[in-house]
Amino acid sequence: MQSQDKYRIALLSAYALALHGLESLIPMPIPWLRIGLANIITLTTFILFGFRAAMTVTLIRVCLASIFTGSFLGPGFILSLCGGVSSILAMGLVLNILPGLFGPVGLSIIGALFHNISQLFLAYLLFIQKIEPVLLITPILILMGTITGSVNGLVADILIRGLKNSDDKIQNNSV
Amino acid sequence: MTQRSKVRSPDPRVLFSIPFFLLLTVYFLLLPSCTQKEKVYRKSRILMDTLVTVNVVSDSADKAERAIDIVFDEIAKLDSMLNFFSDKSELSIINKNAGLSEVRVSQETIEVIEKAIYASEKTDGAFDATIGPEISLWDFPNKIKPDDKTIRERLSLVNYKLIHINKERSTVYLEKRGMLLDLGGIAKGYAADRAVAVLKRIGIKSGLVSVAGDIKAFGLKPDGRAWVVGIRNPRAIGNDDDIIATIELRDAAISTAGDYERYFIVDSKRYHHILDPKTGYPADECQSVTVIAKDGVYTDSFSTGVFVLGPERGMAALKEMGFEGLIVDSSGSIKTTQGLKDRIEFKKDHR
Amino acid sequence: MNLRKTIDSTTIGDRILLIFLLLVSFISIIFIREVLPKTRDVIVEVEGKIRYKYPIDTNRLVKIEGPYGHLSVEIKDKRVRVIDASCPNKLCERQGWITRGIIICLPNRITVIVGSPDGAEDRAVDAITG
Repeated sequence: MQSQDKYRIALLSAYALALHGLESLIPMPIPWLRIGLANIITLTTFILFGFRAAMTVTLIRVCLASIFTGSFLGPGFILSLCGGVSSILAMGLVLNILPGLFGPVGLSIIGALFHNISQLFLAYLLFIQKIEPVLLITPILILMGTITGSVNGLVADILIRGLKNSDDKIQNNSV
Repeated sequence: MTQRSKVRSPDPRVLFSIPFFLLLTVYFLLLPSCTQKEKVYRKSRILMDTLVTVNVVSDSADKAERAIDIVFDEIAKLDSMLNFFSDKSELSIINKNAGLSEVRVSQETIEVIEKAIYASEKTDGAFDATIGPEISLWDFPNKIKPDDKTIRERLSLVNYKLIHINKERSTVYLEKRGMLLDLGGIAKGYAADRAVAVLKRIGIKSGLVSVAGDIKAFGLKPDGRAWVVGIRNPRAIGNDDDIIATIELRDAAISTAGDYERYFIVDSKRYHHILDPKTGYPADECQSVTVIAKDGVYTDSFSTGVFVLGPERGMAALKEMGFEGLIVDSSGSIKTTQGLKDRIEFKKDHR
Repeated sequence: MNLRKTIDSTTIGDRILLIFLLLVSFISIIFIREVLPKTRDVIVEVEGKIRYKYPIDTNRLVKIEGPYGHLSVEIKDKRVRVIDASCPNKLCERQGWITRGIIICLPNRITVIVGSPDGAEDRAVDAITG
């Protein structure tokens, strides 16, 4: 890993962590409902710098956030970790198998979908152990995840374009 | 970037189809809430000293609820006329004036008593609504058997021929002092009839009303099948849901008289509430009798009458009336009328 | 930084996926309740009015006051029974544990119904005679 990459990952992780913290300040009507603002950074990282960078950023973000809130290795942390990792795995797989079919919005939706599904599955296995309530909230979570996922995807897309433009400019200037 | 732009095709047809799909989604979302499908709504209430359950097929819960409440009101009204134990009922006033004077009563009371007399005639007095003086001697909860002398003395008060109805003046008169008319063996079936009539009048297409074991059904369930009624096992142990057979009920009523409803056992002899009007003692040739006919007034009264007649004469009476029926005799073996054989479905442990 | 341009640049895959998931989740939100096995409720009515409603899978013991007396309803292991009834016959107590159906206490005007909340439950029979 080049030092420039390390620098980028650190910066992106910091952004993700900041958004994660910001999101926790936004009051939501349903406690377990999340917008997933940090996923904007994850997605941007994934598209600009690839699978490994995105995974690293997510791991750092999840671990640090849980340490800050004191829930490290707790149930919330396990759910968060599992959701983050599987969402990136899913995005990586989809991009590998079907390159070009989905843009940032589609990838973001897929990420959100797998984030939710893995968390629901884990929550069922570890905590709830009743299939009815899980099945009842699954479609609601998928619906919300699809909406927030597409919005996050759009924001990430805009961000990526902006970054690319400025990158090009910087590179053009430097050349 | 280049990778994506290759696939990103601004095909106008695809773009056009997106709002269409969204509209389709909205349409499917609204569809189920607009065209509510028909469902069975069920409500129970304690009326006529028993459990009354009304099932109604309707496309709206509100409509069903209103219909069921109207039925409950109707049955409560009938109970206020026909209740044996209430001092203010028309029936009580008739009984109090037995041997004294005729009593002016409602059309409904006249109709029930007329039907009771008809059932008595057709069962050769095996069903008799004037059984009151005998039945009131028995105390089933406290297992008290009346003495033989009293039973014999009161037999002269049990005779349906001593009921006099004057339809013009709408009055009823019991000829002998001490006579007691007890419509317990017919009023519940009549109530089921009236309940179904009320449901039909207010536009319900299908329903089932059960007043204790007296049931009347009309129409079909939302799944297109007929209403299914189970016949209780007369020797069920504990479990109330123990049934010997099921039968589909299409625009008909069904009633069962059984020796297990109110009874006590002394010296291994079962004393129950279905008394033979000729002897004043419980009829002992059957365990239970189920009758199916068009109306509850008939099924209710004839189930009791056939029970008293016993399996052979009972079967003959059913045949003569053109009713269907099932008799469990005192040994526990089951006989059915010919017409019932292909409509009835026996549970595996029986027959 | 143009939102319009960004929306326009989404791929067909993006759009189909979005619409597909919206459709699937919308439809399942509506129909999931129909598909799921209905949990039964224990409904206690006094004189025809619903007094209590409890899920059958939570154990509890409730004392019910009727106009003419009292009784206790015990819910345990998804079964229901009446105990400690003030009536003389105690027919309701003799009925024992039930998992569906109805227990009535005539003297106290109390009915204990085990069934799905809307009363429409798939049963082998619609009524029992006898």
